[in-house]
Amino acid sequence: MDIGIIGVGNILMQDEGVGPKIAEFLKTQYFFDPEIEIIDGGTLGLDLLPYIEKFKKIILIDIVDFHKEPGYIKILKGEEIPPYLKTKLSVHHVGVQDLLEVARFMGVMPEELVLIGIQPETIDLGLDLSETVAGKISELVNEILKILNDWGIKCVLQSHQK
Amino acid sequence: MARLVIDPVTRIEGHLRCEAVVSDGKVKDAYSSCTMWRGIEPIMKGRDPREAWVFVQRLCGVCTTVHAIASIRAVEDALKIKVPRNADLIRNLIMANQCVQDHVIHFYHLHALDWVDVVSALKADPAKTSELAKSISSWPNNSTTYFKAVQDKLKAFVERGQLGIFSNGYWGHPAYKLPPEANLMAVAHYLEALDWQKEVIKMMAILGAKNPHPQTFLVGGMAIPVDPESQNAINAGTIAALNKYADMGIEFVEKIYIPDLLAVASFYKDWANYGGNKNFLACGEYPDANGKLWLPAGIIKNKNLKEIYPVDHKNIMEYITRSYYTYSKGDKVGLHPWDGETTPNYTGPKPPYEYLNVDGKYSWGKAPRYEELPMEVGPLARVLVAYASGHKEVKEVTDMVMKKLGIGPEALFSTLGRTAARGIIAYVTAYKIKDFISELATNMKNGDLKIANTEKWDPKTWPAEAKGMGWHDAPRGALSHYIVIKNKKIENYQMVVPSTWNLSPRDHKGQRGPVEEALEGTPVADSKQPLELLRTIHSFDPCMACGMHIVEVKEE
Repeated sequence: MDIGIIGVGNILMQDEGVGPKIAEFLKTQYFFDPEIEIIDGGTLGLDLLPYIEKFKKIILIDIVDFHKEPGYIKILKGEEIPPYLKTKLSVHHVGVQDLLEVARFMGVMPEELVLIGIQPETIDLGLDLSETVAGKISELVNEILKILNDWGIKCVLQSHQK
Repeated sequence: MARLVIDPVTRIEGHLRCEAVVSDGKVKDAYSSCTMWRGIEPIMKGRDPREAWVFVQRLCGVCTTVHAIASIRAVEDALKIKVPRNADLIRNLIMANQCVQDHVIHFYHLHALDWVDVVSALKADPAKTSELAKSISSWPNNSTTYFKAVQDKLKAFVERGQLGIFSNGYWGHPAYKLPPEANLMAVAHYLEALDWQKEVIKMMAILGAKNPHPQTFLVGGMAIPVDPESQNAINAGTIAALNKYADMGIEFVEKIYIPDLLAVASFYKDWANYGGNKNFLACGEYPDANGKLWLPAGIIKNKNLKEIYPVDHKNIMEYITRSYYTYSKGDKVGLHPWDGETTPNYTGPKPPYEYLNVDGKYSWGKAPRYEELPMEVGPLARVLVAYASGHKEVKEVTDMVMKKLGIGPEALFSTLGRTAARGIIAYVTAYKIKDFISELATNMKNGDLKIANTEKWDPKTWPAEAKGMGWHDAPRGALSHYIVIKNKKIENYQMVVPSTWNLSPRDHKGQRGPVEEALEGTPVADSKQPLELLRTIHSFDPCMACGMHIVEVKEE
């Protein structure tokens, strides 16, 4: 298993929880062939290092400040990622930025790293996503599935599996 | 007179900010302000107490397990549930492993660069670095070739202009005292610590079934079976794996962390003069089979190591006189967390602002006080209380550290003492992990496989109303959760976290919080590069320590 999907963020902070929520959604709704690993990365930074080292290809899902309208989605690859982490929306972004810098210094960066970011609407205390971001879940999932398809992974809805 | 502002991550919530008044090259006064959580009640109220830990463990991005532990203990206290020994042992293992890992990571990745000049390491002679390393430790990675390779790696990093993790340092600052060789050795161990930590946290994945955010906690015990006959339980193979990670912990702390700590500290002994506090609270940790705590609980007042007072949570009151909240009985009173209120009342300047209004309310953190006194919590509190109580292992290691540095116990009340205490606790805890594993293995051998007490799992067995509290002496310090249960649901939930103690603002009497107090008298060689302030602030391992890499300095 050399492909990992890591959803990062804090599920107690509304839209900030979109990463872990997507991870949970993929885990419960899809089968992947060959198998991939899906991780609820929570808000942790360096604790995710073993995963960064373990996978050859990684998709990170997180909120990002693109200075665009809430719900805006953008896919960033490799070197495009760090500049976007400089604008911190959340405390956990400090951790993610450190994580990637440490991984680079240690020489354990994956061959391919993709960040699927979404502009949040609200990151106040609360368990539910904003309607705007909740309405983008299927679009986010589709973007992930497209990338996985490009990487040769078959993604099948569990409800379609006989 | 200059007002220095250290504001790590200005655009986000949840940050720590310090403002220091500097005159004649010294800190005259300081204010610490933070945006902690504005109370968790909105999320917790009305929930099932048994699932509280699932939510609270997500509160903090750094200490994933600690809130889960304090939460289940609070519920167990409220419902008077006695946990089986095996569950306590597994919790002890999770807590102790987290503690050792956290302290190593803190030292190397959040604190060392306040003492170690990374750029100076480029000037080091690898052969001399090798001699230095051999003289202080038997750790095998100590050859000239090895240090040359680390130096080349660092050089490549610097030449690409991508300092990355090292980009926010005050390299070349006159307060850096280590010779280039010691700096290079520390950089090498910075890298080794990263390699080490990504291995040892696998113990969490075994015991927590998942990391980050373990999922085996359970009110009444643990949700992980213990069964030597089963593949899917803690069995003989698991015990062997646990022992392997425990040995890695001991080896790293004994052969790298402690020798480095002593080597670095020997150049900074003047830091025994700065950063101290008078009052300390340790809540104790690691229950033994009789419920007695291996590291003792206790209160130290006014630096007096001759008298240790017992800890009673009923003496804790939270004040909001200088915090952005309001109480229904007025802002001068203190409230015990069971009666805690979290009603925001922001009276500060409109962001973005240059300075806090330090004459009024200035922090989102409340000011917890024990018998009306501010208390420092954390490794130094733990070491001082254990040392003064005659704790065998702590006394032995503390005496060794003091002897090697040529200092006495009075020197411990300082930034140097706090940083040394973290190493001392990591050292004794790394060894203690072996005892926990061996006790668990013995229980399994004797057929004691009990892991959860489910007598009170059914809410029908609960009283109509119950109150409980859970302590956990987490790596950063004493953490406590308070729960009020009414009609099987959470009525009130409050937490007093270590950073709330340490970073608290002034209180109803105008008494400073521990970090504010500790900063007074700190020398500042260059007000544009307040490295010395960071040394003391970081030594507390503030919750936002990682954020403190990013520093913005303004001067009046």
